[in-house]
Amino acid sequence: MTKGVKIALAFLVGAVLAACAWLFLRPAPGGSVAVVKQDGVVLQEIDLDKLEEPMMFTVKGDNGILNTVVAEHGRIRVKDATCPDQICVHQGWISQPGKPIVCLPNKLIIEIRGEGGELDAVS
Amino acid sequence: MTPKFFKRLTGTALALTLLLTGCAPAPEPVSRDLFAMGTFLSLSAYGGQAQPAVDRAADLVTQLDNQLSVTREGSEIWAVNEAQGAWTQVSQRTFDLIRDALELCRVTDGALDITTYPAVRAWGFTTDEHRVPSPEELAGLAARIDYTAVELDPATHSVRLPEGMMLDLGAVAKGWAGDQLSALMEEDGISSAMLYLGGNIQTVGAKPDGSNWKVGIQDPSGPEGASLAAVEVSDQAVVTSGGYQRFFEQDGQVYWHIMDPDTAAPARSGVLSATIVGGRGLTCDALSTALFVMGADRAARLWRDHPELEFEYVLVLEDGSLQISQGLEQGFKLLSPYQDRKVTVISHDERG
Repeated sequence: MTKGVKIALAFLVGAVLAACAWLFLRPAPGGSVAVVKQDGVVLQEIDLDKLEEPMMFTVKGDNGILNTVVAEHGRIRVKDATCPDQICVHQGWISQPGKPIVCLPNKLIIEIRGEGGELDAVS
Repeated sequence: MTPKFFKRLTGTALALTLLLTGCAPAPEPVSRDLFAMGTFLSLSAYGGQAQPAVDRAADLVTQLDNQLSVTREGSEIWAVNEAQGAWTQVSQRTFDLIRDALELCRVTDGALDITTYPAVRAWGFTTDEHRVPSPEELAGLAARIDYTAVELDPATHSVRLPEGMMLDLGAVAKGWAGDQLSALMEEDGISSAMLYLGGNIQTVGAKPDGSNWKVGIQDPSGPEGASLAAVEVSDQAVVTSGGYQRFFEQDGQVYWHIMDPDTAAPARSGVLSATIVGGRGLTCDALSTALFVMGADRAARLWRDHPELEFEYVLVLEDGSLQISQGLEQGFKLLSPYQDRKVTVISHDERG
């Protein structure tokens, strides 16, 4: 084996080891992150798996409508809202990707991002 | 370090590389989210052409929304409803949709009726002032619900309906839009896409890895948004209609937005949700409403008598049990913790 080949091999091995390191050391996929968006703007990203104490916050819209959002370990919901239809409240908890909680009047979207489970969508 | 050592190291490294490329993360889709058609839409596509395709789709759906919205002043449907009995010309595309929707009203014997809007409005579902109309008011509203009174003139693509009646395509527009969008995606060379249209699911092809999309069916009774079952589809639409999606409570009674055209009041047929799976979004959307109104027996008859509609269905009944049409048996499964639910398979043979 010539010196050139040795160097090339060493480089190759180094590259592979670096790739291994990246693959195994990068932040674990899976787990669920709740993304709370209003009119396309991300308001909060909450790692639900790391959440030990429940957290609560309100989202207010231009039209004065209020959504009270509660996040607990592994799940999130709109606890109450001052919008007329209450569709967001009726939706209940979500803990998996595939179906967002929507408050249309407030353009509020709460969805779970993550390599969640079996489902690609919920109809 | 010996040459032998190097050989072993290289071999291992190469083997690892091959192994690890198999562990590459799944391709990410390109997505566009928007509010249109009275709901939240999320359009996701895979592949090199995904960004322009998804952008074109978002533009198209906005256009369709502008044309079809019943509440939007100046939309084609608004114009028809304002015409007070006069002929109104609409675009060819809208005309074709109305024509196809009326055909679905016919085949479902009026369980789907695209003229229920005055009733939906009277109950407050569009004005956000929920109320329970009196029996007299309901009788008057029911008299104004009659899809057979809608007239079409194909030569001029014009529509006419009697004064006092109103058209609303809310029960079919999302499904139909799904068809338009998936055609656009295919035109743009997209072979894998998932279109979430306010709960209407339209898939283009299979997932990038070739496997079927897994679509959950929500538990209509659950306080959690849990899915009680899943269907596997590719190149198909999945649409669910259920009272639980939009309702209000008054004096201990629950009233939902899906009306029985005969009574102008919420349909109560013993069905909590109806899910339709099929190749055509318009059909799936229309039939999900129709089957919710019809109930289990009429639904089974419709499915047996009309194979040309090419759909399969899942009903969740009031007692928590499910009925699924036979064609779905392979692609259907109950999810934990619902595995103890009773599932009846509806076959083509009535005695079966």
